Amino acid sequence: MAVDLKGILSPFSALKQGVKPPHTVRFPREKKETAERYRGLHFNDLEECIGCGSCATICQNEAIDMIKIEGFETKDGDSGLRPRVDNGRCCWCALCVDVCPTGSLSLTKDYIYVTDDPNAFLWTPGVDNPDGKEKISFTSEEGKPLLDYQRIPMRELEGMERVKSFAEVVLGYDEEEARKEAARCVGCGICTEVCPVHMHIPEYIFAIGRGEDEAAIKIIYDNNPLGETCGKVCTRRCETVCAISKRGEPVAIRWLKRYATERANNADLIEEIVNPEILPPNGHSVGIIGAGPSGLTAAYYLSLRGFDVTIYEAKDKPGGMIMYGIPKYRLPLESIEKQVGYMQKMGVKIKYNTAVGKDITFNEIKEKHEAVLIGIGFEKPYELGINGEDAEGSIQAINFLRMVNSERPVDIGDKVVVVGGGNVAIDAARVSRRLGAEVTILYRRRVEDMPADWEEIEGAEDEGVVIHPQAIPLEILTDENNHVKAIKYANAEMIPDPNGGRPRPKIIEGDEHIIEVTAVIAAIGQGADYSFIPEDIMEKIETKRGRIVVNEKQQTSVPWIFASGDIANFRADAISAIADGYRAVKGIEELLLKKEK
Amino acid sequence: MNLEKENKFAKQINETFHSAVVKVQRERRIIVELRSDLIPPFLSFAKEYLSFIHMAHYSCVDWLEENKFELVFMLWSYEEDVMLIVKTKIDREKPEFVTIKHLWPQAETYEREIHEMYGVDFKGNDRLGEFILEDWDDLPPMRRDFDTVKYAGEHYFTRPGREDAQDVRETIARHSGEEIPDFAKKYSIRRDEE
Repeated sequence: MAVDLKGILSPFSALKQGVKPPHTVRFPREKKETAERYRGLHFNDLEECIGCGSCATICQNEAIDMIKIEGFETKDGDSGLRPRVDNGRCCWCALCVDVCPTGSLSLTKDYIYVTDDPNAFLWTPGVDNPDGKEKISFTSEEGKPLLDYQRIPMRELEGMERVKSFAEVVLGYDEEEARKEAARCVGCGICTEVCPVHMHIPEYIFAIGRGEDEAAIKIIYDNNPLGETCGKVCTRRCETVCAISKRGEPVAIRWLKRYATERANNADLIEEIVNPEILPPNGHSVGIIGAGPSGLTAAYYLSLRGFDVTIYEAKDKPGGMIMYGIPKYRLPLESIEKQVGYMQKMGVKIKYNTAVGKDITFNEIKEKHEAVLIGIGFEKPYELGINGEDAEGSIQAINFLRMVNSERPVDIGDKVVVVGGGNVAIDAARVSRRLGAEVTILYRRRVEDMPADWEEIEGAEDEGVVIHPQAIPLEILTDENNHVKAIKYANAEMIPDPNGGRPRPKIIEGDEHIIEVTAVIAAIGQGADYSFIPEDIMEKIETKRGRIVVNEKQQTSVPWIFASGDIANFRADAISAIADGYRAVKGIEELLLKKEK
Repeated sequence: MNLEKENKFAKQINETFHSAVVKVQRERRIIVELRSDLIPPFLSFAKEYLSFIHMAHYSCVDWLEENKFELVFMLWSYEEDVMLIVKTKIDREKPEFVTIKHLWPQAETYEREIHEMYGVDFKGNDRLGEFILEDWDDLPPMRRDFDTVKYAGEHYFTRPGREDAQDVRETIARHSGEEIPDFAKKYSIRRDEE
């Protein structure tokens, strides 16, 4: 019998495979890493997310909803909403991640999700996978964003060119720049929350982006008749919460507003574009004391609503602090006159050179009008409280600015020290530079503690203003004619506040210095002067730390008296004053029209 | 960074195709932009003379604002390990091109896809019928003027449980007491409807 050798040996031929690497997976199974940029289930860093909803807007499958989730409330800089994904619709294109302005949204390595519920497709990233942060794989790369994080730069006069005149420093966007800048906005509206007036910011920016400047102007005038002023000098809290600002430069909301409002370059054109509805006269009369931003705002909207409005203004020009306090290189006279001119066309009456308490009594105003709005601002400057303050050449900053702005001659010589660190101090310093003086600012705290806008501080430095922080003035030295000769100050060190407040300056004993000066300008704050209000009425008006206490409609404890602007809020800026004026309109309307019924 | 072989290719290309705009983007990557009628001879040249024998990818980009489609070919040379990206723009109104399936048979499948997704007609390719999309009678869906959101809204139901969705702008306005006037509301829409 022949042996079938081949049949015996061939099974062993499989042994030769034993020395080759296997094609099968290893046991026990080794888990393979997913790809580096794998696009799996969403994760959202809930604390980073501001609920702008850009993810929901861009989603081409409408897979993302913005929903209310527990623990997050609508507040400044946060809509309180968070995205939820319908995974039945999601195609993992990751546009939502690429567009996310904060970078909070990402995709993870996770792609397996097991559940008994066949309808469990709704997935709230960050809530349903709180541990997702460790598994992030696909993020929006900072270098390649869908959004434009760079602002269109604003053209300005060069620093040393500026000090030669009072010409406007900021040159404004041209049409192309404005359209491009407007296109950076994601339209979330988070900015509107912090705007004291709650202007319709995304709407007018969208209109500008579409080339519809007139619509933008109309939208701006809906709740701010001083849009152009704000476009130039607003403190723009809106830009600090801008969604784009989380990773880039915020949208230039202020400059866009400036661009739009400047398109209407005279009062007639504003009227033609805004073309507001004016209600027929309702027979009610309102008196307003002070033609500052709050008084003007209230007067404008009250006029549109059929009220007979008269503003009593002590000075010979409108605008209050925006006329006399803000230097002309930031807000030119013609701009204010144009805006107020438009209001007068809408029926606002302004009596200039009429100081209440001097040219007319408060009681006369009370007789003439059914309601009175007081918007007198802080005109009374605080004193430094040091020796020599009453000497010739020691001036208060707001008096100084007022004189310069009304083109009255001021002699400050060629070496000026400004005391203070707020916007008024910086303004006084920059104006002094334009009058040809060398300027030093003495401020008691550090530069980073200065309440002035950083842009203003930088602007002053560009123009050659020397800022000397942690310096406390001790005495103003005078010559035999009682004219300012020098100022003595001491350096200070910062002492941390044990209660967690901001550090306080403490004089370093013996570290005293003297600067020779020709003028000292004090800018350490202002208060209100209520002496024109008769005592019997003033007694009934509740005040707190120099300010009049008002309700949410600006009404004081005396029902027919309303108060607005610096005397009624702690923010002390134009936009807050405008907001007060706007709210007072509602209060006055309610008071007088309800009375009728 | 040594770009010797890349620059050599660039020189060879320029010598033969004078109108070609050649850019060595980085190591192992060359980008060539060329008039569309020169593409077939150029691809043939790249394959036969420059060793780019492998067509790795073939795609299309919609330049809506310019009213152009851009065809993009990615070729690979195994000899030199270099990727050659060839780009050409064609008219978007009447998008036509010639097939290149005689150079690479797999181009036929890419052309079918580009035809279905962008509507480009490839002369000489007789398989341009229905490909992935079934019974499609709308605009080719990868064109940028195709409104994906609208299509999704019309064709897919909204899953139950999504009724609690909120509008961000309205939520903020309600919270702050902002009254958006009617004439301004059409500018609140974040998707440009046009």
